[in-house]
Amino acid sequence: MNGTARTARAEPRTSLGEHLRTALGLTGTHLGCEQGDCGACAVLLDGEPVCSCLVLAVQADGCRVETVESLARGDDLGPAQRALLEEHGLQCGFCTPGLLMRMTHARRTGAPASDVLGGHLCRCTGYGGLRAAVERHCAVEARKEDQP
Amino acid sequence: MTTRVHIGLPVPPRNHPALLRGRGRFVDDLPFPGARHVAVLRSPVAHGRVTAFDATAARADPRCLLVLGPADVAELTDPIPLAWLLPDQRLDHVELAVDVVRYAGQPIGLVVATDRAAAEDVAELVDVRVEPLPAVASTAAALAPGAPRLHAEAEGNVVGRTHFGTPRDRLDEAFAEAHLVVEREFGIQRVSHSPLEPRGLVAEWEPGPGLLTVHASTQSPHAVRQELAAVLRLRADRVRVVARDVGGSFGGKVALHADEALVCLAAVVLGGQVKWVEDRVENLTAAYQGRGQRTRARLAVAADGRFLALHADVVGDLGAFAVQAGSGPLQVTALTIEGPYRFPAAGGTVTAVCTNLVPVGAYRGYGMQESTFIRERLVDEAARELGVDPVALRLRNMVEPGDMPYTTCTGLVYDSGDYSAALRSAARRVAPPSSAGPVRRGSAVTATVEMSGFAPSALIRQFDIAWAGWEGVRLVVNHDGTVTVHAGVTAVGQGIETSLAQIAADGLGVPLRWVDVRLGDTATAPHSDLASQASRALVLAGGALLRAAARLRARVLGLAARALDVPEADVVLDVPADVEPGSPEAVFRGASGVISWRELAHRAWRGWHRPEGVERIRLEENVDFDPPAITFAHGAHGAAVAVDVDTGVVTVEDYWTVHDNGVLVNPLVAEGQVVGGVAQGIGLALFEEVRHDPDTAEPLSTTFREYPLPAARDVPRVDVRHLCTPSPANPGGFKGLGEGGAIPPAATIACAVAAAVPEIAEVLTATPMTPERVWAALREAGIEGSPQWTER
Ligand code: FES
Ligand code: FES
Repeated sequence: MNGTARTARAEPRTSLGEHLRTALGLTGTHLGCEQGDCGACAVLLDGEPVCSCLVLAVQADGCRVETVESLARGDDLGPAQRALLEEHGLQCGFCTPGLLMRMTHARRTGAPASDVLGGHLCRCTGYGGLRAAVERHCAVEARKEDQP
Repeated sequence: MTTRVHIGLPVPPRNHPALLRGRGRFVDDLPFPGARHVAVLRSPVAHGRVTAFDATAARADPRCLLVLGPADVAELTDPIPLAWLLPDQRLDHVELAVDVVRYAGQPIGLVVATDRAAAEDVAELVDVRVEPLPAVASTAAALAPGAPRLHAEAEGNVVGRTHFGTPRDRLDEAFAEAHLVVEREFGIQRVSHSPLEPRGLVAEWEPGPGLLTVHASTQSPHAVRQELAAVLRLRADRVRVVARDVGGSFGGKVALHADEALVCLAAVVLGGQVKWVEDRVENLTAAYQGRGQRTRARLAVAADGRFLALHADVVGDLGAFAVQAGSGPLQVTALTIEGPYRFPAAGGTVTAVCTNLVPVGAYRGYGMQESTFIRERLVDEAARELGVDPVALRLRNMVEPGDMPYTTCTGLVYDSGDYSAALRSAARRVAPPSSAGPVRRGSAVTATVEMSGFAPSALIRQFDIAWAGWEGVRLVVNHDGTVTVHAGVTAVGQGIETSLAQIAADGLGVPLRWVDVRLGDTATAPHSDLASQASRALVLAGGALLRAAARLRARVLGLAARALDVPEADVVLDVPADVEPGSPEAVFRGASGVISWRELAHRAWRGWHRPEGVERIRLEENVDFDPPAITFAHGAHGAAVAVDVDTGVVTVEDYWTVHDNGVLVNPLVAEGQVVGGVAQGIGLALFEEVRHDPDTAEPLSTTFREYPLPAARDVPRVDVRHLCTPSPANPGGFKGLGEGGAIPPAATIACAVAAAVPEIAEVLTATPMTPERVWAALREAGIEGSPQWTER
């Protein structure tokens, strides 16, 4: 769990998203629809983006889970966070955590901005600053920053 | 006079870093591990009589802590009073205790259990019997002869009527003489606000002191507090409502809903903490909705293109019952029907009808999106019928800056702005589109005027609304030199906290980060009935804050003069841009020396340096601002669309906006508001629609698949421009901008589709313009698709 081993009991019917929020106290991941439609709940499960409302907590047993809480290094925001901050890519911030995880995945894998934008609903921004942030973040040149 | 340093800068919203780290504090995130959970029991049918409510099996479940049914609710609560009635309206409250249900999803009772899943399990054990009654699923059905009657207080299902503007007989005369009359029937669908964060609350009852504290996702904590006190029969000072982060609202979180009141009742009955967060299905089927009207409207034009008369006969769908300001949007449609044009005669008639659908309330654009759609479509149709350029026809009839202040036939007084300049600016930028093959392209521009900064209290009283229009702020310089703003308006993701900080910093002449802004807690926020709705937060709280800052600045300068023993006029506040409030470099200078800002603040709170006879000590200013008038923003939008004649799919390819929102405090926030509004407008124009079964009135839009929100692919890049005519109605020259983006898109897109396919222009009078509707209109007009499709 975000780089640390965590143990917590889950009912078989509990979704991963709910488990993260309640048993593990990680409320950064938001549940906007619990039906796989909005993308607010996206987390990385063994490096792949999933809707945590559609995955059962028990399915994540033994897996690597990354959530929004893992993206900043101390006081420094991560690249996806910086892009959204600087391009005004959020308003209420409710959709943001899932989007950040998908952006993080896209940057690692080279997936295009359209893949990220296709999987998320935002009711506030009209995708203005949000699209600019995702495009900037996924641009080929931007990825070079990540090379060691 | 305030020196503008921060006002006008694109400052990123100050709460964004925390939100980006996943440290938001939305209701469901608040740490209340001990809270018990609610599941609301809802009517499965749209109309029926509750004949039995048996909770025996539910109560036997060990996880069940409480069940409340209609009898308990009747005994323990009073109804929610309404705030805005039509003149002859007799339905004047929202019933909490229901024996007759009037929409599918209406709350009947609730269960409380140990956790959310348990509450849902237990809810299934409650045996609620509802004997169905015939339902009405539209205003047409409700008004039909022999329709089932929903309320004793609403004969023929009409809740109330009113008329604004030129009397009907004079309107009829004006139409009789006209060269051209364009008349159409318009339909504006019901929509769902669908904030990504659904509604929710945690209510805590402390039986000892008898205190109810409610953490809620709301736009209007003070209004909710007053309503809760009335409903639960509590003293106003025993109820506290707190709104932390709110994940979007758009008018959907302005009033106390019945289910929310029941959750608070459960807390009072049980003691301790009770929590409820609605799920998406509940949000789409039980939370109040927006829009919903059918309107017959006509425009009279002289042979030379002068507008002679305009009349809209609005028939609005209130749903199952009138909510707090249920008929408000319909009344605003009538009031704002004239828009930016001069009319010798104009008016709006309103008939509010009840149906067995979800009740309807405020939604971003509040009646003005509707009036803009109706008027701009009529004007475009008039231009088509006269064979003249639609932009020229608009310009010929516009209210010009020299006409200000301009009084409309319905009695609104426009304060300022250059409406023609906005339209010209938009028209210049809209590129003429080219059509090819099965895709037709067209573009259009429209114009609108937006009521903003809804106040003053006297005017609101004239409209017979039981709310106040003023806004208050409390501005404090703390003993350590930091600055705190408390205001009655609320932060709902729109960025108001940042704009207020910019205003306070400039008003006092201090760095932005010295200022903290605290909103949303009725224990500390100045009273506010309307808070952040009706594009009013910045206009009114901003106005109050400028006054408070000017007064507080004068006071600290006076204290500094006494501390330095120099005349007041000789004191200068000298604060380098980046220092902390405690810095020895942030000083008041006089001929005799310096005193630091922090030292002065500290001494002031000790009561030092005040002139003899002055009792005032606290370094804070409370200002209530009730402006002299509403201030009107305005704008023009342009759209370029592609219409695929094979499929009926309309794509918005380009979009341009020009708004005059007076002085912009934060252009970043302003642009975000405009673009976000445009996206909601595109959704309404093309696909968002809450659907119900036409016979049973049961909901068909229960998930985001049946109620799709605009996705990134649906919204093109939006070109945003601003003009600036400072408002004369408030000290900052501000005009509201929360709704302006959402108002014109449906009108603009429909006019652009009409330009692309003039053959169907006449029937482009209803939204959403879905592929099936556009396709049907194309075929009806004899436009066939590509041969390879039509041959099959
Ligand atoms: S909450 Fe999982 S997709 Fe919406
Ligand atoms: S910022 Fe509010 S939903 Fe995206």
